[in-house]
Amino acid sequence: MKTEQYDAIVVGAGHNGLATGCYLAKSGLKVLIVERNDYIGGAAVSRELYSGWTYSNCSYVCSLLRPEVVRDLDLARHGLQVIPYESGATFMSNGDHFAYYSDHDALRREIARHSKKDVDAYDRYSKFVTKQCRFIKPLLLRTPPDPVRFRPRDIQELLYLGKRFHDLGARDMADTLRFYTMSVGEFLDEFFESEVIKAHLAGSGIIGTGLGVYSPGTAYVLLHHYMGEVDGSIGAWGFTRGGMGGVSKALGKAFEASGGTIKAGSALDRFLIKNGKVEGVVLENGDTYTANTVVSNMDVRRTFLNHVEDGELPGDFVKAVKRFKIRGSSGKINIALDGAPTFNNIPGTANFLRGDLHASESLDELERAYDAWKEGRWSEDPYFDMLIPTHVDPTMTPPGKHMMTLFIQYAPYELANGESWDGPNRDAFADTVIDKIARYSPDFKDLILHKEVRTPWDIEREVGLTEGNIFQGELTFDQLLFNRPVPGYADYRSPIRGLYLCGSSAHPGGGVMAAPGANAAREVLSDLGRKGFGRAA
Amino acid sequence: MTQYDAIVIGAGHNGLAAAATLAGAGKKVVVLEKNGDPGGMAANSTVAPGYECPAMAHLLSNLDGAEIASLGLERHGFAYAATDLPTISLSSDGKHIVSDAKGVRYADGGALAGEAEFLTLRARLIRFADQLAALKRKPPPSLSGIDWREAASLGKLALGLRRMGKEDMREFLRVLLSNSYDTILDEIDDGPLAGAFALDSVLGGHVGPRSPGTVLTLMYRLANGGAKHQPRGGMGAVMRAFEKSAKSAGAEIRYGAAVERMVLSGDRVTGVVLADGTEISGARVLSSLDPKTTMVLAGVGNFDAEMIRRARHIRTKGCTAKVNLALSAAPVFTGLSDDLHRGRILHAPSLAVMEKAFNLAKYGELPTSPILEVTIPSLADPGLVDGDGHVLSAVVQYVPYSLKQGWADDSRNALGDVVVDCLDQFAPGLKAAVTARQVLSPADIEAQTGAPGGHWHHGEMIADQMLMLRPAPGIERYALPVEGLYLCGASTHPGGDVTGIPGCNAAKAALQVKLGRAAA
Ligand SMILES: Cc1cc2nc3c(=O)[nH]c(=O)nc-3n(C[C@H](O)[C@H](O)[C@H](O)COP(=O)(O)OP(=O)(O)OC[C@H]3O[C@@H](n4cnc5c(N)ncnc54)[C@H](O)[C@@H]3O)c2cc1C
Ligand SMILES: Cc1cc2nc3c(=O)[nH]c(=O)nc-3n(C[C@H](O)[C@H](O)[C@H](O)COP(=O)(O)OP(=O)(O)OC[C@H]3O[C@@H](n4cnc5c(N)ncnc54)[C@H](O)[C@@H]3O)c2cc1C
Repeated sequence: MKTEQYDAIVVGAGHNGLATGCYLAKSGLKVLIVERNDYIGGAAVSRELYSGWTYSNCSYVCSLLRPEVVRDLDLARHGLQVIPYESGATFMSNGDHFAYYSDHDALRREIARHSKKDVDAYDRYSKFVTKQCRFIKPLLLRTPPDPVRFRPRDIQELLYLGKRFHDLGARDMADTLRFYTMSVGEFLDEFFESEVIKAHLAGSGIIGTGLGVYSPGTAYVLLHHYMGEVDGSIGAWGFTRGGMGGVSKALGKAFEASGGTIKAGSALDRFLIKNGKVEGVVLENGDTYTANTVVSNMDVRRTFLNHVEDGELPGDFVKAVKRFKIRGSSGKINIALDGAPTFNNIPGTANFLRGDLHASESLDELERAYDAWKEGRWSEDPYFDMLIPTHVDPTMTPPGKHMMTLFIQYAPYELANGESWDGPNRDAFADTVIDKIARYSPDFKDLILHKEVRTPWDIEREVGLTEGNIFQGELTFDQLLFNRPVPGYADYRSPIRGLYLCGSSAHPGGGVMAAPGANAAREVLSDLGRKGFGRAA
Repeated sequence: MTQYDAIVIGAGHNGLAAAATLAGAGKKVVVLEKNGDPGGMAANSTVAPGYECPAMAHLLSNLDGAEIASLGLERHGFAYAATDLPTISLSSDGKHIVSDAKGVRYADGGALAGEAEFLTLRARLIRFADQLAALKRKPPPSLSGIDWREAASLGKLALGLRRMGKEDMREFLRVLLSNSYDTILDEIDDGPLAGAFALDSVLGGHVGPRSPGTVLTLMYRLANGGAKHQPRGGMGAVMRAFEKSAKSAGAEIRYGAAVERMVLSGDRVTGVVLADGTEISGARVLSSLDPKTTMVLAGVGNFDAEMIRRARHIRTKGCTAKVNLALSAAPVFTGLSDDLHRGRILHAPSLAVMEKAFNLAKYGELPTSPILEVTIPSLADPGLVDGDGHVLSAVVQYVPYSLKQGWADDSRNALGDVVVDCLDQFAPGLKAAVTARQVLSPADIEAQTGAPGGHWHHGEMIADQMLMLRPAPGIERYALPVEGLYLCGASTHPGGDVTGIPGCNAAKAALQVKLGRAAA
């Protein structure tokens, strides 16, 4: 049993914990990060589970990562490289497809093939979404105000929000209010007539959520997936070279370069708390580390319900944490392929095969997939987001081979009748998805060398994301901004003095964004009377 | 030709309330109604000779004392047959649940687990609803610059919220846009009690309990504490009181007078033309129809593309039908006392079942297990029936307007059968006692009232179509962009149900505006 002392301890080396660690270490603090797994990265990780193949085991595409953080922490120098990918497509059961080209003229021609009317609608749509992105982006790296406390900083922040909103002008204000409260399905219905175009765009509104395309609030989720950028190109997505673990790896290097210490394979048992103040952490192996500042990268449920002793927290707070919605709704399959699969009627040279591929062709189909989830079943006709990153980044497999990443919406955490995910259900789930793909790609099944199937249970067990929720908590209004994660505690602090949250459970939420991590660091440093540095903290 | 100060289209209760308010202010008013009776969605119908039944709306909850007084409804014959109806939530295991102002219990008097949690939740949402109610008698807060006369209502809201204390205020801001499913199930187990409470959050809408925003709708329904009352003489009698109120204030009402189009001079409305060609001129037109229909009547060419687009996008998927029965004898629900038969009897066994029922409606299918709000109004109000039979009034939730197979007679019959069979399970013998049956699909409701989709609120009541977004941005303050033209029906703020408030608000808005010299 060891005991060591630090200025600050971060529990969890997810990308947010690493980002917090970096900011704290860079400001001169002696920082320790403890991580339960033998590897760092949490849900932003690359692992070799089949010899020669690197998988992006959880998250697989990058866009949300705040450029301010990339610059502040000099992540490019530490090896981060994001390669934008071009376009994507939705396959249709009639043998046709809709290709979502990034080239504007090509996209217009393609849209016209499905609906002449939708050509101009698309321009209006994309202008609208871009405007909403511009509105929201500056809020990502700010701490939300507490609207009921009226401290000077709350008032200042409320005024800032009010002014930004007011500056939109009456018309855009109304549009914005509607946008934040409506469903992605209805939002798209207002612009487009082609079902396949709507279905293609709607995916972003449901990924990771326990909501359907017609559930109010999903238009915001769409925005949550659009507000990122690659190389300054808003809404663009890219692959991290070497898989999504590349983000965490760069953060890890930056952290160690600033003098920080990472202990992997070191699971937290409990926080040391005395008189309402945190004093350190005790690991499962009995090692104890002390610090007056402890930041948890774990989700809010795990942090307070599993690792803080009963009686340390006010009852109301515990109740609020318990009702925090963190529902699993997604699955993941990573596949090692012997070669590039071909798709019916599509030449292998089509550049959209390098992007995100889907096979859900109407909003009703997506809504039905959600209905299955509500009833505790995985969708028989699931929505998937399928990519073959090795077209763009060949470093992940042996030459000529490929890796496929499949994100599947919807898969419930709790199966009907209390059935287990382990065993036959996991296989049946994978078969459902693979059979669906095989309808569009005749040689796909024969190319499969190995697969990693991750149900919500697996995601919870391996990454520690409660119920397998990819955002560390649903992105509904009752859990956004000043309501995230718990009303009154949106400022990264907790009822325990010195104990902070820096994971995606905190504002502005999930995705490989590093914003919660940067924001939490700023609040910690301000409590310590230290000036933050860089643009973000 | 008579020149009116104001023409009101539609003698639904909102049109009548608008007419009464305008006439009361000394304006010369005519109400034009296509049907032969007043009331629109709140009229009575004769299910069989001698059997009067509320055709669609049957219970009052959101009709405030303030409107009852200002419109003098009691003076004009309005009365309750029964107030504070207990709500009975049927359970297939026979353990029906009763809830009323006093609390909740099993129908046999037994105590119910979760009562305390439920009552706390209900009380909290009622407190929140009271705060929001501060906004209902004013045009919604404007986004384009604050009118200080109205800022008072916003200020009142803000003050009220602060006075609730920090914890309540936080909770208010959290649940405001959430769904009734989570808000309710965070406190109590799913089952008939949860279903009964959630019904008000979805009744009339194309939403399920899991749809975010349903808590706001629920709070709209809880503005008067959520108590339900049965009017004497059926809802149609309430409409007669509204009619008398308008008439006694001096308004003229013409029935069988369907408006076919409006007459404009420049961008000012100057009158209307009826289906039979009669022209009627007036300086203002208040339409109790939805924005889209109203704009069509005014000529879409008179609105800019943006306005038309917004009106077109208003969601009006009706999801509620009505089944009215004439019965040879009073039905006997197993396990309910005589008194409870006079209550509001629900089939809303759980939120899970309700959400599943909504699934079917989304894809244009008929319900297999209908969600119901039933009353047997003739028990407390025998005058509705000549002789000793009874009438039963059933609001049926999750019946799609766009039924896949269309709304022909066989679909109507199938719906009627599903409803009667469901009730017969709980009240054996009910089916055999049915002597006449009236089934109103959302399509029928649209045909009778002109409401698009047959929608209860003339437009979905969910956050993105409420307050300053109701009925659509830019027309949230009753006036349309044609001079002298106003909306006054359920599609406007604060929304549907029998309240009379949209009508009164619209009339006040119209009275505030000085018309150009030529028009006045
Ligand atoms: C399948 C899947 C696909 C996704 N796809 C994308 C995508 O393509 N693009 C995108 O932007 N986002 C994606 N996301 C979301 C994104 O990956 C996550 O929201 C984000 O990575 C969460 O980061 P975090 O640092 O907040 O938390 P986490 O990554 O969850 O980090 C928490 C860390 O805490 C550690 N921990 C837990 N318990 C303990 C303990 N007791 N002691 C010590 N350490 C502990 C965990 O091991 C983990 O490393 C995806 C998520 C999943 C699950
Ligand atoms: C099945 C059902 C059950 C309901 N139950 C309840 C309930 O229990 N309690 C409750 O509070 N609310 C209930 N409601 C809702 C409530 O009835 C309505 O929201 C409310 O009555 C709407 O009033 P209104 O005056 O705005 O419109 P309406 O009542 O729809 O009136 C519009 C009027 O305009 C007339 N009209 C249409 N076109 C023209 C034209 N071209 N020219 C002239 N006249 C025209 C129509 O005939 C109609 O009379 C129910 C609704 C439905 C559909």
